[in-house]
Amino acid sequence: MIRPWKRFVALMDRREGGEALAALRIGLGLAALSAALDVWPVADLIWLDAELGGYRKLNDPEGLIGWLGGASASTLHGLMAVTVVCALLMVVGVVPRLAALVYLQVHMALTNLNGHAGGSYDELLDNALWLMVFACSHATWSLTCRLRTGKWSNPDAQVLAWPRYLMVLQLVIVYASTGYQKVSSHWLPGGDLGALYYILQQPSWSRHGDMSWLAWLFPVTQAMTLGVWLFEIGAPLLLVALWARSSRTTAGPLRRWMNRVRFRDLFGLFGVGMHIGIWSLMSVGPFSAISLAMYPALWHADEWRRLSARVAGWRRRRQTPSPPAATAPRAG
Amino acid sequence: MLQHIWPHARAGLIAFHIFAIGALAIPAPQGGMNRRAWSNPTVQAEFSAWAARLTAAGRPTTTEELEAFLWDFAVAYMGQRKKILEPMYPYYKWSGTHQPWRMFIAPHRNPSKLHIDLKVDGDWQPLYIARDPELDWRADLLDNERFRSALFRYAWRQYKGSYRQFGRWAAHEAAAEFPEATHIRLRWYQYRTIEPARIRAGEEQVGTFESPLTFTLDEYRGEQP
Repeated sequence: MIRPWKRFVALMDRREGGEALAALRIGLGLAALSAALDVWPVADLIWLDAELGGYRKLNDPEGLIGWLGGASASTLHGLMAVTVVCALLMVVGVVPRLAALVYLQVHMALTNLNGHAGGSYDELLDNALWLMVFACSHATWSLTCRLRTGKWSNPDAQVLAWPRYLMVLQLVIVYASTGYQKVSSHWLPGGDLGALYYILQQPSWSRHGDMSWLAWLFPVTQAMTLGVWLFEIGAPLLLVALWARSSRTTAGPLRRWMNRVRFRDLFGLFGVGMHIGIWSLMSVGPFSAISLAMYPALWHADEWRRLSARVAGWRRRRQTPSPPAATAPRAG
Repeated sequence: MLQHIWPHARAGLIAFHIFAIGALAIPAPQGGMNRRAWSNPTVQAEFSAWAARLTAAGRPTTTEELEAFLWDFAVAYMGQRKKILEPMYPYYKWSGTHQPWRMFIAPHRNPSKLHIDLKVDGDWQPLYIARDPELDWRADLLDNERFRSALFRYAWRQYKGSYRQFGRWAAHEAAAEFPEATHIRLRWYQYRTIEPARIRAGEEQVGTFESPLTFTLDEYRGEQP
């Protein structure tokens, strides 16, 4: 018992460059900003009591909004402005931990006003923000870094890696939990694999209205149904794949295979495609944006650093003027 | 001293977090412990499919037997689950670490489409049909993704109180905007999504209007909402 605990303590004490957490901060900040702006047109309707212009009678708010004297229009608008400011602070990397904490508390207070007008995307954002409260995400790629060091990036920064590990774990839990609950005969192999087809026929979530044209692409939707189900129930393998990558030097056959097939990259590629597909076909709030904002956690800070160096090199090459074409006549 | 203790304390707190979210995310019929919701045709169709599957696998079961067994199991399971999770409720509440990942666990084969009509000169005229680009009264609000979540719920019987409140709001809005109208009507066009082969054969999805609500607009004129 003592040895596994020591290994766990050492894992949670591990440090890495700040790039991965910075990418998470920027992505989640943008997703939080988008969520805060999207709700603005309907905020009064869904979060005000019927007596103040909302559409339904709401319970007296507890917590933050209760302390502020209740959900009046001015309180609501003030709190929504706070979420916009906090999201911007996260994007630019100024006091991002405090910004994440304040956004989280305000967001929970607002979304708890009317539990009917929300979705799992609210809880997904809350979970991600809670982890960002503990992440030193402004060590590089931030205005803070610029003010402290005179540069936008700081390759020498070392930050605790565990918030990134927990972000990956949260993503795996989301996928696995929903996958294990998909016990409908339309999802499981052996059934008709019609789940995605029928879900896309639901007018509540359809982005483009009538989707009956998918009847002619039913085999494609069946393949996607199976793919999504396998992706979700297989999500815990991502943890094995990341362990395989981190212990490459001592890898046994399973770890070697996982590294050879580049399981993590395939998982990330499928996940990105799936969320783009959800976003393009369905109106389910900012779920895809928030999920994708968590994906930077899949890659180690060193990989982000290499990508950043490659992009910088590419930009330098583009900015350097190419030598003028030779105009002199060839000798001879 | 603190330098030696802190890594262990931090790891302990992280372990607590992992246990708390992991335990909460274990599948459970949270929000589904409602016998009225279980009578929904989509849910009943799932029970029937599973009863048939179990029967085919050599374990004869009727839909009613399966439903009764699952209800008893779910009640017992949720009781035990509550005992384990209850001490961690404050943590979930203040840290926002709820784990409600029951997303599209079964396609809703009996979806509903909201229709709103207005009565002018004794005739009903359509005002809004969900996802219809022409009949789009207040679509900027009603089609917003957050409001879609609310409207999705209001087609279910257990939300009829909130559905009525939404209807009153619509009546207030229509009373102010259409002085010539006398009534507003809300109803759900409910249908069973048919198999793709039948769509390809040219069959149309046919349903019925359910849960109509009618409001006399004079009662809402001149009132504050």
